[in-house]
Amino acid sequence: MPLVFQLLQQTAVIIVIAYLFSKSPAMDYLTGAKLQRRQLLVLYVVFSLFSILGTYAGLPVQGAIANTRAIGAVLAGLIGGPVLGLSVGLTAGLHRFSLGGFTAFSCSVSTTVEGLIGGLVYLYLVRRKKPEQLFHPFVAFSATLIAEVLQMSIILALARPFGDAVALVKVIAVPMICANSVGAALFISMIRDQKRVRDKVGARFSSKAFTVADRTLGILSQGFSPETAREMVEVIRQETGVGAVAMTDRKEILAFSGIGADHHHAGNPVVTKWSKQALRENKVVFANGYDDHFQCPLAEHCPIGSVLVVPLQVDQEVVGTISLYEPKTKLFLNINRSFGEGLATLYSHQLLRSRYEEQKTLLVQSELKLLQAQVNPHFLFNALNTIMAIVRKDADQARELLMQLSNFFRTNLKRKKDIVTLEEELVHISSYLEIEKARFGERLTVNQEIDPTLLTLQIPVFTLQPLIENAIKHGVADLLDHGQVWIRAYRKQGLVLIEVEDNAGNYCKPMDTQGLGMRLVDQRIKNIYGDEFGLTVDCEPQRKTLVQLKLPASEELKNDSCINH
Amino acid sequence: MIRALIIDDEQHAREELELLVEETGAFEVLGSCTNAIDALRRIRTEKPELLFLDIQMPALNGFELLAMIEDELMPHVVFVTAYDEHALKAFEEKTLDYLLKPVSPERLLKTVNKVRETIRRGEPPRYQVEPLRHIPCQFANRVKLIPAADVEYVFSDLAGIHLVTSEGQFFTELTLKVLEERTPLLRCQRQYLINPDMIDEIKLLDNGSAEIKTQLDHVLPVSRRYLRQLKIRLKL
Repeated sequence: MPLVFQLLQQTAVIIVIAYLFSKSPAMDYLTGAKLQRRQLLVLYVVFSLFSILGTYAGLPVQGAIANTRAIGAVLAGLIGGPVLGLSVGLTAGLHRFSLGGFTAFSCSVSTTVEGLIGGLVYLYLVRRKKPEQLFHPFVAFSATLIAEVLQMSIILALARPFGDAVALVKVIAVPMICANSVGAALFISMIRDQKRVRDKVGARFSSKAFTVADRTLGILSQGFSPETAREMVEVIRQETGVGAVAMTDRKEILAFSGIGADHHHAGNPVVTKWSKQALRENKVVFANGYDDHFQCPLAEHCPIGSVLVVPLQVDQEVVGTISLYEPKTKLFLNINRSFGEGLATLYSHQLLRSRYEEQKTLLVQSELKLLQAQVNPHFLFNALNTIMAIVRKDADQARELLMQLSNFFRTNLKRKKDIVTLEEELVHISSYLEIEKARFGERLTVNQEIDPTLLTLQIPVFTLQPLIENAIKHGVADLLDHGQVWIRAYRKQGLVLIEVEDNAGNYCKPMDTQGLGMRLVDQRIKNIYGDEFGLTVDCEPQRKTLVQLKLPASEELKNDSCINH
Repeated sequence: MIRALIIDDEQHAREELELLVEETGAFEVLGSCTNAIDALRRIRTEKPELLFLDIQMPALNGFELLAMIEDELMPHVVFVTAYDEHALKAFEEKTLDYLLKPVSPERLLKTVNKVRETIRRGEPPRYQVEPLRHIPCQFANRVKLIPAADVEYVFSDLAGIHLVTSEGQFFTELTLKVLEERTPLLRCQRQYLINPDMIDEIKLLDNGSAEIKTQLDHVLPVSRRYLRQLKIRLKL
């Protein structure tokens, strides 16, 4: 059966062309995603040409043409759906019709039907939610097989004289069915391989992007400074393999790594026109190395030939740039270009977040400072009133109380430190409590149960005072008699718990509706130690209110950046 | 001599004010009270002409005390407070004068003059009082504050005034008149007040009177006289 081999030979030619096609940008259209109208048009032209090529490459047999036209039509339907299949089939069919011969009409009809069959398979698989199967060679093989069998039947049905048709089909049926099916399967498997390679490249690229993002975002969250920039440019250069990487702020180079580092130094002012333009216009600037050459203003021998400068921005405002450089001997890869741009966007978001966090912390700090410095007028005037009454009866006690009052206000005014020991905080509130005890007399009892090993515990300043003030103001001051306040500090399950409890049970509100002082204390603890710590309020109406402060048990409070900004 | 009562929950503050007030020579200090309930009793028995009234007090504050006093017994009031966070100016019409702690004797003299002048003119004190949100009741030897909305009805008998709630009966020092004026409770008979939100049905009787069935299935009498008012208030 030499015809089979001849046909397979023809198929091979088509496959070679298909291979070239699969390397061209048109391949982008075969990604299996939903196709746009423009892409469909391109595919229509390409597959129609394939199909017509199949006709021309065919071998004349008994007044007809043994051919591989079916491949184009079936695959068009398979890839682009019934409309595309039908259009390609019809086009190739009409072309075949124009060539004449006794099978001209039957062949043109059958080619159209073959395109439709590809389209029907497409519909079937898409409806069954298995569109990935469209690129399976077996599917292409089977679809083409069926299409070719159908074609033979159509020839028998339509071509006249019938005797000639039978004789023709006897000769061409097996070779054509084989050649077309195998050809279609090979074509599809090639496209599939190409897709796989692309996916792999894409995956490698995204994994690289993730690695860089992962390694650098942590560094960036510590701030945008020469130190963090130095670490970041190293990571970016290692991961991308570009010639050199630089980061600048608005004025000078923060860090530079790679080729040309002998004359591009951190601390130098920003001099290149590309960086300046990016800073000025807040846009990506690219000198690709052949239309636009990077020219180093510093040194003649500078090996850098192309550059990409991406601005870093926070709130529409440019704060610096990231530049990627390649030597004169190397092309600037497109992939690195989009990578650089993506990275800069990512960093801009991170910078915005850091700035937001920083401002939030600063706000809490300054509100607390304000609250702390604020003299609580109720407390002050009631204290003075009490002392004025006591002066008449007990001058010593009055003197003692005035001492406590002055101690209390002095510490409130002069406390510049952000962190104090629990003991210092307790001494501070004891002045306050002595005065309140004098004021309320027998109506107030204060009980302290402090684990002595916790006295050296470092806590943010002004943590206890709002809690105690609350217990007095909303607790004891609201009870007719026998007001009690408990202050406790103890360890439990790896935590330090500081509690202030009263027996009035009057402020049964959730934390977020508590007074400003309490909320700020809670906010600050959460900012420093994390959301699992902070204040909780537990209340039994008319019985007790328990405010619990949860802190990590580590002895040393980290000199946290949140606090010392 | 102006008959005055001092009300403050803090002992030192009370003693200090007593001393200062007596030093002016203008007042006869009838005594001093530590809380609003106590004060209400003293006002009824001693009928003072003037109160020196602390605003910040436990359980019931100065404003709430005023809301509990019957109009006929209402004395003149001087508020005393440590700090005017209540923006005292805003309720000057609710009070004769106010003093800030610590009280200075000179400032107190001005108050004396103001009080004398007012009493000389013989104007009865008429302060805008706020509605009572809570009704203080004796409960064992504690004061229980019952939200006005929780009251089903109120009745008086020889023993006094009783609040009925779903939790039981409570004795209160307040009069039916005060409760009628300062809470949403409505009079339905000489001896009864009803919470209109607790009415289940009103059954009209042949003789022109009626009966109210409450949501807790209590039946209260409605007299002819109050039925008309009740209908108007309930927009029947």
